[in-house]
Amino acid sequence: MSFSISSIGPSSAIQAPQLDSGSKKAGGFNAILQDAMGKVGEFNTTASKSVESFLSGEGDDLHKTIMATQRADLAMELFLQVRNKVVQAYQEVMRMQV
Amino acid sequence: MSLLSALSVSASGLSAQRSRAELLVENLANAETTRTPEGGPYRRKDAIFTSAPQSSPFSAEFQREMGAYSNGVEVAEIFEDTREPEKRFLPGHPDADASGYVAFPRINPAEDMVDLIAASRGYHANVSAMSAIKDMIQKSIDLLR
Amino acid sequence: MLDALATKLEHYMDLLGKRQQLVSANVANADTPGYRTKDIDFQFEFMSLLEGGTPNVIESPGLPVKNDGNNVVIERESRLLAENALRFSLASNLLRGEIRSVRSAIQEGR
Repeated sequence: MSFSISSIGPSSAIQAPQLDSGSKKAGGFNAILQDAMGKVGEFNTTASKSVESFLSGEGDDLHKTIMATQRADLAMELFLQVRNKVVQAYQEVMRMQV
Repeated sequence: MSLLSALSVSASGLSAQRSRAELLVENLANAETTRTPEGGPYRRKDAIFTSAPQSSPFSAEFQREMGAYSNGVEVAEIFEDTREPEKRFLPGHPDADASGYVAFPRINPAEDMVDLIAASRGYHANVSAMSAIKDMIQKSIDLLR
Repeated sequence: MLDALATKLEHYMDLLGKRQQLVSANVANADTPGYRTKDIDFQFEFMSLLEGGTPNVIESPGLPVKNDGNNVVIERESRLLAENALRFSLASNLLRGEIRSVRSAIQEGR
């Protein structure tokens, strides 16, 4: 994995460094994170709906609701870990002596 | 929710078998009762079971949709024996009629004892079912651990 | 999140739950005149992998009918009660293991 130093601008910590043109990932990490965030949002919505429906007594089996919440949890955890890694990598790069 | 509704179904089974047992015990206790407040000897009682959908306080509409899944049991009616009472010749008996016959309930204690055992077995079976369902629900909750 | 195995296990548990509901209904109606034993075709429903659909309730074939029209065999229902509960327990444990594995894998990256 190599970075093109000049392409790293004074952006906020959230925005990930761009990969050089050799890696072909459209939009780089930023896009990946956005995509993952969307998926996490989806899982969360499904889980919330499932729990609501359980509470109102209209829902399906209990284990389905629980699995939906577990999926949402795991997705969120994964997302957080990935984001942490990305931020770490960015910070490392920033610390590098030019 | 569906698994939880099975608890209502088992509960209905417990209720029905208990009612049945109560009637049988009443029969056995009154096997020789020749006079009742309504007049005449005691008449054997029996519970007529019918299957009926069970609703739980937590859900209304959904249970009706589930159809076959939530069919518990209910006592549709309590049936009183309509046969002619058994007549025994006991001229000295206070309840004897003009010809010296006393009307006794048509109850065969042996039959009712066997039925009582069956009701007890039915009751236990429903207890087992409820216990198994409860365990399964607990296992579902354990997925969170 | 979580792979196809987890989805299959969930579906398996779903069918077992529905089957157990029917067993409960059969047990409750073991002495109801005219009542016929209900079941689902487990293998078929599991293989067809219809998520979220309601499995077809069928009448269990080949059971002896008593004089009052009831064909519930309490021994059969007891067996199914135990079997369904055990399978459910196994599936639940496997699923929990899956969740733990994935969580471990995520956290190892720390």
